Amino acid sequence: MSAIVLKGYKEGYEIELKQEASFKDITKELEELIDKLKQEKKIEEKDSISFDVKTGKRLLSDEQCQKIEKIITKYENFTIHRIISDVVEMKDAMELIQNKSVHIVGDVIRNGQVKTVNGDLLFLGDVHQGGILRATGNIYSLGNIHGIIHAGFDSNITSVIVGNIKGAQQLRIGDLVDIVDEEKVTASSETIVYVNELHALEFETLDKLKILRPKIFNQVGGI
Amino acid sequence: MGKAIVITSGKGGVGKTTTSANLGTALALMGKRVCLVDLDIGLRNLDVVLGLDNRIIYNIVDVAEGTAKLHQALIKDKRFDDNLYLLPAAQNTDKSAVEPDEVKEIVDELKADFDYVLLDCPAGIEQGFANAVAGADEAIVVSTPEISSVRDADRVVGLLEQQDLDQPPMLVISRIRRQMMNDGDMMDVDDITRHLSIKLIGIVFDDDAVIAYSNKGEPVVLNEKNAASRGYRNIARRLEGETVPLMTIKQEKQSGFFGKIFKWFNK
Repeated sequence: MSAIVLKGYKEGYEIELKQEASFKDITKELEELIDKLKQEKKIEEKDSISFDVKTGKRLLSDEQCQKIEKIITKYENFTIHRIISDVVEMKDAMELIQNKSVHIVGDVIRNGQVKTVNGDLLFLGDVHQGGILRATGNIYSLGNIHGIIHAGFDSNITSVIVGNIKGAQQLRIGDLVDIVDEEKVTASSETIVYVNELHALEFETLDKLKILRPKIFNQVGGI
Repeated sequence: MGKAIVITSGKGGVGKTTTSANLGTALALMGKRVCLVDLDIGLRNLDVVLGLDNRIIYNIVDVAEGTAKLHQALIKDKRFDDNLYLLPAAQNTDKSAVEPDEVKEIVDELKADFDYVLLDCPAGIEQGFANAVAGADEAIVVSTPEISSVRDADRVVGLLEQQDLDQPPMLVISRIRRQMMNDGDMMDVDDITRHLSIKLIGIVFDDDAVIAYSNKGEPVVLNEKNAASRGYRNIARRLEGETVPLMTIKQEKQSGFFGKIFKWFNK
């Protein structure tokens, strides 16, 4: 037994797949281990045991995960609680960073153009009529907005829009849309737009932001 | 080696063809060798505006397909010594008859012989636009002081910025009516320029003579005194690197005897 290690904890069992071992060895040994466990332990029929599978610095593909799952769940009372790895893929890691940081954009977004940003956005440029500015997180705008501004694209309704949105054509958060017309233009540079408990867009002054979205203030300072 | 400038707008009817013809003529009058290329395939007009429509034998599609040599298809405008040429568009086919690569090849060949190659772009942002932009080094965006035109110009500037042009697009505001602009009924030149945030290279006043001259098959630039003509001449000079002040929009009121009395009452 060198490819896998079985450990018991107070919380449950954990199977560690050694990163030095080949996947072929792992599956082979895992099968043996499971068979042995089944025979040795006098497990009651009703008892179910779930395992944490730790893969160390190895990333399992979906196919490999399925294989492991198949071996372990061959017996009814064994289940997999979760498969954990110490590493993530570069792509996923970049996405994580992207989503957590505040991006500064100073572009001119013209009629017909769409700019999409992952994460929060500090906007210093211009959005012309017909242009769309999207962020998956919050949008803080110091620029000129004459087009469409979309925070929390496309389903994050906890996002807010902060800044001067007076001239905007539409404000969108998540799946909600507000067509900015004359009567609602109470907006100044200290306006925030958010989604209230009734799932509707609402305007508020900047000083209320701390009460409405306290989390925003925790994240300032980067990742 | 000359440079190729595409004249475009997005919206139709704002004066792309008129600008191409007049700007080309103005440059030719300054002694530059100019070739106008009509890329509005299927709806060619540039030849008519210049009064050269009866002399077309071959066109750009023939050149692209190899049925004619480039120099065979070029039409010389005899009014301007050896300075102004036209490569006409085809009339019996459509925009997809040529590919951007083919246009680029033809334009590159023309650039070797001419100081300026002006590409008259069709309206719209489809294949015809792609063809016209493919060969261009620089771009002139024509807009009228109307909201629809400015919006389309904005869209086109966005598309042009994605292209690999030598410098950002330049703006020509055409069909300006002084009276309306002074009264505030028309968008201001400054507003449009600021909105599009590109360099303004000239303004052209709306003038009846433009249509009258076009109908005669002569560019209005030939009339030195005309206000629209001066606008085009100024654009040509600015393209050549001269510093020319912008024409004033304020129109001095012609106050006759009754005008003075009226003014006096208005005080």
